[in-house]
Amino acid sequence: MDGLEEEGMGSLKIFTKAKCPKCPGVKEMGIELKKEGVPVLHYDLDTIEGLAEASFYSILSTPSLIIEDEEEREVISWRGVVPTLQEVKQYLFRGLS
Amino acid sequence: MSSVIEMKGDRLGTREEFETTDMALFVRTSDESMHNWDRQRIVDALLRETYVDLDTAKEVAREVEELIATSKIKMITAPLIRELVDTKLVERGLEQARKMHTRLGMPLFDVDQLILHPNKENANVPHGPEATNLTLAERIKKEYALLSVFSQEVADAHMRGDIHLHDLGFIDRPYCSGQSLEYIKRFGLSLPNSIAMAKPAKHPEVLLAHMVKFAAALQSHFAGAIGWDSVNLFFAPYLVGMSGRELEQLAQMMIFEFSQQAVARGGQAIFTDLNLYWEIPKHFEDVPAIGPGGEMTGKTYSEYIKEAQRFAWALFDVYLEGDGSGRPFFFPKPMVHITEKFFKTPGHMDFLHHICDVASEKGNTYFVFDRGETAKISECCRLSFKLDQTDLEDAKQPWKMRYCALQNVTLNLPRVAYHAKGDDTLLFSKLTEFIESAVKAHLEKKFFIEKLLSLGEKGPLALLAMDRDGSPYLRMHRASFLIGMVGLNELVQIHTGQEMHQSKQAFKFGLKVIAHMKLLIDRFSERYGMRFVLEQTPAESTAYRFAKLDLKYHSPKSGHVVKGDISRGEVYYTNSTYLNNSAVLNPIERVRQEGLFHPLIEAGALTHIWLGEAKPSKSSLANFVIKTFQKTQNDQIAFSPEFTTCNLCHRTSRGLRSTCAYCGSEDVDGITRITGYFTKVSNWNKGKIGELRNRYRNQAFLEENEGKVLLNS
Repeated sequence: MDGLEEEGMGSLKIFTKAKCPKCPGVKEMGIELKKEGVPVLHYDLDTIEGLAEASFYSILSTPSLIIEDEEEREVISWRGVVPTLQEVKQYLFRGLS
Repeated sequence: MSSVIEMKGDRLGTREEFETTDMALFVRTSDESMHNWDRQRIVDALLRETYVDLDTAKEVAREVEELIATSKIKMITAPLIRELVDTKLVERGLEQARKMHTRLGMPLFDVDQLILHPNKENANVPHGPEATNLTLAERIKKEYALLSVFSQEVADAHMRGDIHLHDLGFIDRPYCSGQSLEYIKRFGLSLPNSIAMAKPAKHPEVLLAHMVKFAAALQSHFAGAIGWDSVNLFFAPYLVGMSGRELEQLAQMMIFEFSQQAVARGGQAIFTDLNLYWEIPKHFEDVPAIGPGGEMTGKTYSEYIKEAQRFAWALFDVYLEGDGSGRPFFFPKPMVHITEKFFKTPGHMDFLHHICDVASEKGNTYFVFDRGETAKISECCRLSFKLDQTDLEDAKQPWKMRYCALQNVTLNLPRVAYHAKGDDTLLFSKLTEFIESAVKAHLEKKFFIEKLLSLGEKGPLALLAMDRDGSPYLRMHRASFLIGMVGLNELVQIHTGQEMHQSKQAFKFGLKVIAHMKLLIDRFSERYGMRFVLEQTPAESTAYRFAKLDLKYHSPKSGHVVKGDISRGEVYYTNSTYLNNSAVLNPIERVRQEGLFHPLIEAGALTHIWLGEAKPSKSSLANFVIKTFQKTQNDQIAFSPEFTTCNLCHRTSRGLRSTCAYCGSEDVDGITRITGYFTKVSNWNKGKIGELRNRYRNQAFLEENEGKVLLNS
């Protein structure tokens, strides 16, 4: 995860798949956050990289999101549900005191 | 005496040198008779068996005759003549004809050795005349398969060791199967080619008898496991009003019947899997029950929960005791399904403790985890079928629920890595190549089996073609085609320099490899309209075979990677997607990590927890099972203790020892799980013995500390 850790900010991993109705919205959210400087990684479960990463986190349904801290520990995850942008931001910037 | 050779037609006059008396030849043929020499027989055989034309055939026949005449051979056999004809075909470059004309079989020396010394390829098969018959027949069928069923390309890939075609000696059978007792409950026992016909059973003992007979008939048509769905539930309507004693006796009979060596496949026991439920599976709740006489009882299965539970309990009572010598029963294998509903069903904790008691004492219990809304029928040691919508429709008429896997083809993953030499693109493309070979093999096997099935109930697979309910017993549209793998750990080791348990990157790379396989076979499934699924190959001898071949073809690199002891020849690759057997890992961690692969391996997977001589308490095992269900994706676990049984005093002690703990005799046998089943260590092949030495045993297993569960390793 080189170059992606910023002081006090976690990273966001977004898991989507083709033919998944709620996925486009979540992808949009990811693009928004990226513009604001959040380290966002998109994983498509129809690709090798995406499916492998999803398996690592036991992600079985899409869309799913995981926030990790700088030490790559899971802070929170949403599996098969769509959080609001606010909720996501809340956990992302938790590190900032 | 009449001249035995007649020189026909145009060749008269060129044969002054030989004397008629020299050609007083009798030919010993394969049907145990003696015939006079007649070269026309060679011509006939060539025309019948190959596409060679008449002139060439006649020419070849003449040349062979001349060869024999000038050689002054006194006694000749039909096989020898055939080989001489083959030589002539080779000389002419007629390779195809030679293949078609070739003789299959074994050298005299090999047959002699075989009859005297045991064959260790399959730890289930005891040495004896039936076993020898099996090996001899398998040898011929194997050759036949590689020459005539599979293409040259696929056969070569197998011989090289890129892939392994399982059970070649059973080429005319599918691999393994799952069925429902409802079939014989409803239709009775009326099998093609059987001498007698039985109407549906009225009593549980008779139902059991039908089940055993049917299982034996099925076993002679499948290479692998015969699985039964929801056994305790389907017996339940027959158990109404039975006393505890009677139930106990029925349970004893069932386990006894399936645990004794039968005669299928060379004298082995039938490879039986009994799927058991504490609850009524959701898809059977409202299904009308079939009871004595094959009649609807007027109730649904949910009304038989008490009987089903009592029977399941009784079965585990019998498992707990073990056999007459206190040893665990090797078969039948009890697979208990743990689901969300399990935890909502009254009495489940007591039952869980009971089956964990058995797991700790004897090791028999398999815990199968069916999470979420997906129902699964785990039919064989790790083969499972996820029920989809059509299956759930079938569940209303459970006799329709028949599944099978037609074939298993396993990939040699370490070899992929040797070829790739560290390059990712090369690795994935080589992997694709191997998968394509496997898919091709499946298409060829399917074609062959369909050919046999098309001859219907008068053909060679009559039992599988039999139709009592509107479709053949073997439902081809629900057949799976398995693609397994050996040595993922070693592939990762070769490619990244680290084994999967040694770093997160290495582990994730392993996931990538399996993800690639999964995505690719899904595409093939769509393309061919066939169900290709990944499987964790039990790989009893395949892991050994691949390691040996790679030591031959990929040294010196392979020498650093194969596991086991090279000097003793006890080499192996780590099975399927397992972490290294000897890695020191907390058992729940191993279960969790190995479980990450399981959702990708749709046909089912298993993690072993080797106990050695440790005997954890049933409550610590129960907690472990619950934790596995709730906190991991692991598909299935089994706890495997080890035992030593004495052939002198017939007592059994825990742990593997070289002498009996009771009488001190050295005439002992070790008993533990080889891959998916218990057996005697003395039957194991060298690769498995190597692996046994390396297994990390979770000796100081779990401890409960004031109600909190601590995990020790």
